[in-house]
Amino acid sequence: MKSLHKFRVAMGFAILALLFSCSSDDEAITGQGKLNLEFDQVFGGADLILRTQANALSNGEVLKVDELKYIVSNIRLTKSDGTVFTYPKSESYFIVDESDIQTQLLTLDGVPAGDYISVTFGIGVDQEQFNLGAAGQGNFLALAEAESMMWSWSAGYKFLVYEGTFTTPTVTDAETFMVHTGRTGIAYNYTETTLTLPEAAAVRTSVTPQVHIFADAKRILEGPNAISLEENSATGLGAMIMGGAILGEVTTNVSQAFQVNHVHND
Amino acid sequence: MIKTDKMRLSKKIASIFIATAVGLLSSCGSDDDSYTEIDLSFQRPANFPAPTYDYAANPATRAGFELGRKLFYDGRLSSDGVVSCGFCHEQAAAFTHHGHSVSHGVNEQIGTRNTMPIQNLGFYDSFMWDGSVDHLDLVAVVALTSEIEMNGNFQQMLSLFGTDPEYKRLFEQAFPNEQISTEKMLLALGQFMSLMVSSNSKFDKWQRAEDGVTLTAEEESGYEVFQQKCASCHAGNLFTDQSFRNNGLVINPFVNDLGKYRTTQIETDKYKFKVPSLRNVMKSAPYMHDGKFRTLDAVLDHYTSGIQQTQNIDPSLINGIQLSETEKVQIKAFLNTLTDEEFLNDSRFAPF
Repeated sequence: MKSLHKFRVAMGFAILALLFSCSSDDEAITGQGKLNLEFDQVFGGADLILRTQANALSNGEVLKVDELKYIVSNIRLTKSDGTVFTYPKSESYFIVDESDIQTQLLTLDGVPAGDYISVTFGIGVDQEQFNLGAAGQGNFLALAEAESMMWSWSAGYKFLVYEGTFTTPTVTDAETFMVHTGRTGIAYNYTETTLTLPEAAAVRTSVTPQVHIFADAKRILEGPNAISLEENSATGLGAMIMGGAILGEVTTNVSQAFQVNHVHND
Repeated sequence: MIKTDKMRLSKKIASIFIATAVGLLSSCGSDDDSYTEIDLSFQRPANFPAPTYDYAANPATRAGFELGRKLFYDGRLSSDGVVSCGFCHEQAAAFTHHGHSVSHGVNEQIGTRNTMPIQNLGFYDSFMWDGSVDHLDLVAVVALTSEIEMNGNFQQMLSLFGTDPEYKRLFEQAFPNEQISTEKMLLALGQFMSLMVSSNSKFDKWQRAEDGVTLTAEEESGYEVFQQKCASCHAGNLFTDQSFRNNGLVINPFVNDLGKYRTTQIETDKYKFKVPSLRNVMKSAPYMHDGKFRTLDAVLDHYTSGIQQTQNIDPSLINGIQLSETEKVQIKAFLNTLTDEEFLNDSRFAPF
């Protein structure tokens, strides 16, 4: 008798629950889906082509880019209602490499279904992660080494590698340039950027939106801070921008080098 | 009454026998070496400051510590299969490269700096002569990958760990049900190195009033002179204030090691190096970042009369340090009390 009574009560609750879930919110967006972030490298108005393409800065310097790589980290997605989904930190470190198309599409799994209106991410490795020491980094060290993104004299990473050759009106024989950012003894040089999406990315269990992001290599050298490669090649041995205060200027430029071009919701 | 007491007694004896037998059995059966009774708890020595390392975040387990020890002494992590961490960090020399001014790594490549001791790293806020690393877990990264040290490759290390049965066993025991990764490798090395605490020198026991240890009159005088004339940099019971200073060495033009400048590119950091601890200093010759001096006499002579007025010379050394011959003898007597034989002979840190 007793157990039968319990059963009836339980059934009653179950029916109530069913009723509520049917009647109160018939457009509820539930479950989890995926979101793709595509990082597409451009130079000003043109798609970036490595090695062969001549790319002009506003200051008259002309670059041929051999390599462009950077660490994308700490991805957060904001819904239209203001709630933020933080992608698990330990899985949120990626290396985007212009020479390897496989690396340019970051697939985020387990994203709660919803309409996302902005994406925030870091370039580099943040102070919090450094303070954790080894914890939570998985095999990122091995990945970074395989991609030549180790900052070899310290236990850190190159956050951004931007290399190639350049000429200027006065430097007619091409010289090398190497821009590497990373943590130095004076600054972390980690930066974050938040990009508003032109239309919401509607993550559903059955829909994986793709957010197409342009990373503008031109802005690395002429965002808010205009950086002349020639001025950084005083000895004529090439512009080696890898340390000191100028990395802070590059980092500020990098934080403003990204924009979302469009969103696919299909 | 008597009978019951007897019975109780015989029960007691029986249970002691059983316990002993079980103990014997388990000590025979479970482990293949005498390494069973290993103490891996971290306790701050009473005369030490608070540690910087988060011991609770990476608590040492026996398997983790064993793994760390194996990694520390495994030359296969380097590109030539020979140079391990322990190659340049020898226990008997306070984990320095005994007798080497600078060390040689793989392919007989010569470094530019003298090996630093590995001891009490859990109390430091930065590492290396130039402070380029500031977390103990990450210290090994530099040596493992530096082309002139071990020149290792993490992918190759991971495949070694994935195929070597001993590594597979240790990783599984230390980090059950977790993937073998560089993270776990560093955590194991962190467990091993963070427990390398040297805190049982004669000086420590005297300071903690343990075992009735006393300093001789000469050693005590040496400590007084030391406190007046050396302890502004070699401060506290770590014997370093962990600052970076130019101590007036001749600059080797072939190396021109710029010290901390390398990490900061700040002009005022040129030629500045970490103030090293003086614990076990009697065992860690040669001295200075470039291993220039082979004896402590040479070091003391440098401070009294050898200071070079180079860029960013430390203000406290501009006029040298005035030390009489007697004071030098006393200081050396005191420094001798910083040798910690228990640490230098601790089997937990030995290769076998």
